[in-house]
Amino acid sequence: MKERQTPLWYFANTLKWVLLITLLALALLPLLWLLVSSLRTNLELQVSPFGWPAKMQWANYANALAMASLPRLLLNSVVVAASAVVLNTLITSMAAFILSREHFKGRDIIYTIFTAGVLVPVISFMVPYFSLITRSGLYNTLFALIFVYSAVNIPVSIFLVTAFMKSIPKELEEAAIIDGCGFFKRFSKIILPLSRSGLVTAATFCFIFSWNEFVMAMLLTSSIESRTIQLGIKFFSSQFITDYSSMYAAVIITIIPSIGAYIFLHDKIIGGLTTGGVKG
Amino acid sequence: MQALPLQKKSIWAARILFLLPVTLFFFFFFIYPFVFTVYTSFTSWRGIGGMAFNGLANYKKLILDPTFRKALGNNLIWALCQGFIQVPLACLVAMILVRKPKGWAFLRTVYYLPNVISTVALAMVWVAIYNVNGPLNAILGRLFGMEAKNWLGNPDTALFAVIFQTVIYIGYFMIVLLASAMNIPASLYEAAKIDGASTFQQELHITLPMLRGTLITTMTLAMAYGMRHFESTFLMTGGGPAYATTTMGIDLYLKMDALRYSEASTAGVFLIILGTVVITLLRKIFGKSDPMSEMAQ
Repeated sequence: MKERQTPLWYFANTLKWVLLITLLALALLPLLWLLVSSLRTNLELQVSPFGWPAKMQWANYANALAMASLPRLLLNSVVVAASAVVLNTLITSMAAFILSREHFKGRDIIYTIFTAGVLVPVISFMVPYFSLITRSGLYNTLFALIFVYSAVNIPVSIFLVTAFMKSIPKELEEAAIIDGCGFFKRFSKIILPLSRSGLVTAATFCFIFSWNEFVMAMLLTSSIESRTIQLGIKFFSSQFITDYSSMYAAVIITIIPSIGAYIFLHDKIIGGLTTGGVKG
Repeated sequence: MQALPLQKKSIWAARILFLLPVTLFFFFFFIYPFVFTVYTSFTSWRGIGGMAFNGLANYKKLILDPTFRKALGNNLIWALCQGFIQVPLACLVAMILVRKPKGWAFLRTVYYLPNVISTVALAMVWVAIYNVNGPLNAILGRLFGMEAKNWLGNPDTALFAVIFQTVIYIGYFMIVLLASAMNIPASLYEAAKIDGASTFQQELHITLPMLRGTLITTMTLAMAYGMRHFESTFLMTGGGPAYATTTMGIDLYLKMDALRYSEASTAGVFLIILGTVVITLLRKIFGKSDPMSEMAQ
């Protein structure tokens, strides 16, 4: 495209880059500030909020891991997020198989009900979730969070996996039926392996949600045995009252898994966000 | 296909078996909570003992409750800022990135990054940024000689401060709008160029009208998110100072924490109605939009 390079064009072009770079800075600088602060001494932090550490304080990370019962909380988070991902993808892939590959009356209504769940504000369910979990004896257990996180992600996972399974050509399945594949084999040998990419997308969303979730974890757990890392950095910060740099180190440790998942799977995440836009 | 009755029965058994786990979870974590919330909002339940029916008493009490009113007002401000500042900004960025300037794919990836990082971590950073001795005051002081402000501690600036930090979350709406903009046929722009339309005219007369459906969807969704906003405010200010930043979700939490369960449920009903029914209504009014893009978080 040949643009006439008038003064107005230069002005608009400059404005464009100012906007793009400002937003880039807003997305990245808070995280960079956190990273740099986690490597400074508390004295350095007190003197000025900015500045490079005179010497990298890796000891802050050792302090964080020692002081905040961080290893236990991290382990709980890993167990909760991994279990929620497995449970969620298992049950939603089964349902999505029926909702995408089987034909019967009422199928679309079931699909609409499940996916409409995404419109419901889950925070309005604080009272019933608390009541349900307490009465079922799951209060302050990892199971409480595993079940809630798997359930809350049902609408998104059903949407993503059903859309993916629908895109698999019919011919592949028909060939399998002629070869004598029954219902279960069609699911486990044909559709499930072909849906791997869709399942990874759903699992990524479920993992990031479960790893980062705070409100329900605060509501449904009360002791270190079942609390997750997000509560750790929120509530155990009293331990750090004079040691901000170690607290920032703890925060950095907790965001590494999310950033790691994003670096490796950002194509899947962006693809998942636009599934509707492309296929709808 | 000619299926024998026996086969038909077994295929139905298999279908039900496959749908059952999700259905059970959905029932216990979506249907039951919804019914429970609506039901307890008409009772005087306090967590223990029976649920005595008390009609609309909770609703009357809540509507007259100044903190709930403050929360509702704040949620409306949130919804308007999300719908009419956040989404237009995201749309502007999408319209820039769809022309694929240098590094557009990298920018798209980085703009979404804050969405995958825990609110707890980011809220902690923003509390530090807004601190009296924090980076923001240092920058403003050095550049403009401004006096250091307690951004989150001052009722006049706290709401503005917590809303401002959500600008880092524009990535989600931007990605949805960008995907939609990328689907606009290139032939439209080529025809316009032949007719001598400037870039600005092309954006105004092609891109914006073609994005209308997605824009309505994202604006509605953004406003619904504004109505249910809870987490980052709760983490940054707890709703304070003096309820300046409280929202309906925070009000619900505080009532629940004070064991006023049925009043919390009533706040929950308001949240569901204002957050969900409004979406449906707006979609009905503005006509068909793109329901699919609502699904991904």
